[in-house]
Amino acid sequence: MKKILALAMVLCMIFALATPLSAFADDAVTISLWTYPIGKWTDEATVKEFIAAFNEVHPEITVKVEYLDYTNGDDKINTAIEGGQAPDIVMEGPERLIANWGAKGLMLDLADLVPAGTFEGVASSCTTADGKVFELPVCMTAHCMAINKDVFEAADALQYIDLEKHTWTTENFLKAVQAVADAGYDYVGTVFCGGQGGDQGTRALVTNLCGGTYANPEHTQYTYASEENAKALSLLCNQAGITFDPAIVASDEIQNFVNGTFQMAFCWNATQEVNNADALSFDVFPMAFPAPDGVPSLQGGIWGFGIFDNKDEARANAAKEFIKFLTADDAVYTKVVEATNFQPVRDVAGVYEGNELMAEYALMNPMMGDYYQITKGWTTARTEWWNMLQRVGESDGTPEAILVELTAAQDAANAAAAAE
Amino acid sequence: MSDKSKLGSLRSNNLVLQENVSAYLFLLPFLIFFVGFVLYPMFMCLFTSFFDATMGRKDIFIGFQNYKELANDPVFWVALRNTLVIVVVSVPVTCIFSLWVATIISRMPMAATSAFRCIFYLPVVTGSVAVTMVWKWMFNNYYGIFNYLGQNMGLIDKPINWLGNPKYALGCIILILLTTSVGQPIVLYVSALDNVDKSLVEAAEVDGATPMQAFWRVKWPQMMPTTLYILVITTINSFQCFALIQLLTSGGPKNSTMTIMYYIYYNAFKLYRYGYGNAMGVILAIIIAILSAVQFKLGQEK
Repeated sequence: MKKILALAMVLCMIFALATPLSAFADDAVTISLWTYPIGKWTDEATVKEFIAAFNEVHPEITVKVEYLDYTNGDDKINTAIEGGQAPDIVMEGPERLIANWGAKGLMLDLADLVPAGTFEGVASSCTTADGKVFELPVCMTAHCMAINKDVFEAADALQYIDLEKHTWTTENFLKAVQAVADAGYDYVGTVFCGGQGGDQGTRALVTNLCGGTYANPEHTQYTYASEENAKALSLLCNQAGITFDPAIVASDEIQNFVNGTFQMAFCWNATQEVNNADALSFDVFPMAFPAPDGVPSLQGGIWGFGIFDNKDEARANAAKEFIKFLTADDAVYTKVVEATNFQPVRDVAGVYEGNELMAEYALMNPMMGDYYQITKGWTTARTEWWNMLQRVGESDGTPEAILVELTAAQDAANAAAAAE
Repeated sequence: MSDKSKLGSLRSNNLVLQENVSAYLFLLPFLIFFVGFVLYPMFMCLFTSFFDATMGRKDIFIGFQNYKELANDPVFWVALRNTLVIVVVSVPVTCIFSLWVATIISRMPMAATSAFRCIFYLPVVTGSVAVTMVWKWMFNNYYGIFNYLGQNMGLIDKPINWLGNPKYALGCIILILLTTSVGQPIVLYVSALDNVDKSLVEAAEVDGATPMQAFWRVKWPQMMPTTLYILVITTINSFQCFALIQLLTSGGPKNSTMTIMYYIYYNAFKLYRYGYGNAMGVILAIIIAILSAVQFKLGQEK
């Protein structure tokens, strides 16, 4: 009798454990959101607020969040993909969502979710050649550089700057750097090349300085091995106050700018100023990159949501509901954009209303140039770029020697593009 | 054979079987772990090295193509050279320094020995990221302590970009590696010195052996198994130097700190060339296996 009773109890326990939770909540679904550090989208309290608002409408969908960083984020996602554990939603830019995971067929087409009124340039950057949208764009920025206005003023270098437009010509840029260097500053600006982090700054600096390009307009080939770019790098190599440092990446550069060691930052945007507000003890003046005619082509940054194709319709639909909730309604979308510290990708009334800082950085938007980060072979091209800068920093600084290094890097990048 | 002896033999076999089954059951959890996390990945590494494997498409069998490409890849040879430099410098230095420190602190009073053991072991138990970040700060070109002291003491005229200069970067990596590598060998050598048969040492001293002769002729042979273990472990750790490179230099400047481990990571996780990365992993495993076998062989002969 005891044995029968014990067996019955064991069976009850097994059945209880085996009963799926879905038996109690038929529509319940859990999705995962992995986000790179995009403004306050790395802040748990901010993200939880959005999820709580979403859950008021969709209580059946649970959203679990993982916060990534730019050092290890890619590795983490790639490992998850290989292990069949890719997140449902990822928040990042087209260079990863379109050119990388999208090109490998890992993302869902979100064409039907793109809100009307999305800026044409942004929408096209998130769309593949065959019309698929692997990124629902949320925000954008034009990456710029910044100067320590107090130091420039003391060195009488502000005369070389168009203070209203935040622009300067190449000639005036070099004069300004010389003036600050003459005032006793050894490290006016540093071409950081210790890794790929923040390399949009060095790319924009080099390609604008003498009117060069990085890739062709069709985004099929890299074009940075040009005489213009060789001349630009030569100018930087031979300019007092400018150094090449293979031991630092953009985050180090920003830190050195904020603590006053460097007088310029080549990797800067509104988020950097907001995030470092407490540590800054001087007046930061955002600047466009110098160009021969003073009209640069700035490197754009676009961020948004992508959904991995995890072959689970329920999760895919839930993920779509979540990003639709965040982007379709203007009131919610305004808060989502403001949490990024970047600019909206469509005209929405009231975003950053009365915020002078964001208005100042919005001046850069009309200068945004081609979004060439979706060119094939992008990963290799980035690696080749900072390695090339390391070699250039060690070279004799002549345009001829630099062109050899540029060509070697470009050839490797184009070979990778052709192989994809 | 009588029925009685047959029955006895059967019982004995049953007992042996029962013991064997128990033994294997105890081993089972570890075996599952070993097969899942060591044997299977090793096999997959070898298997994948014959494929053009990347993300988002089926693997393509290419035979020995990855290995042929490796032979013609200049960065791979630079990485191999740098790795060997790290091994050749760090393994002997670690062993000699550890032995020297251990002989000194083992003669100290118990409390002092324990204190020094803790001090030298601290970098081992401290997180590698934290240790590396502190070193990064010390090597900093702009406000690092080495440049500050060097300039104030008149040793250098202007700041040296320690991690940004191909001349110094690998040396800096080796220095950091040494500080994180000596802790365990010191603790092991102190234990080995404690375990040396004191009566043999006393007998040698009575026979007129100098302290140096007593050490090399009596203590050293008894410490040989420990030395062998330290040599093998330090060699493997030096070959697998990765975290320092990733956190400090990313293989630069100009590939001067590129190691095989970092190049494997770069190919597999940055360029998604899993097959190529695995081929490098196979080569690295073969090199480590050969060196370890040589070390064991030499250790046994001694």
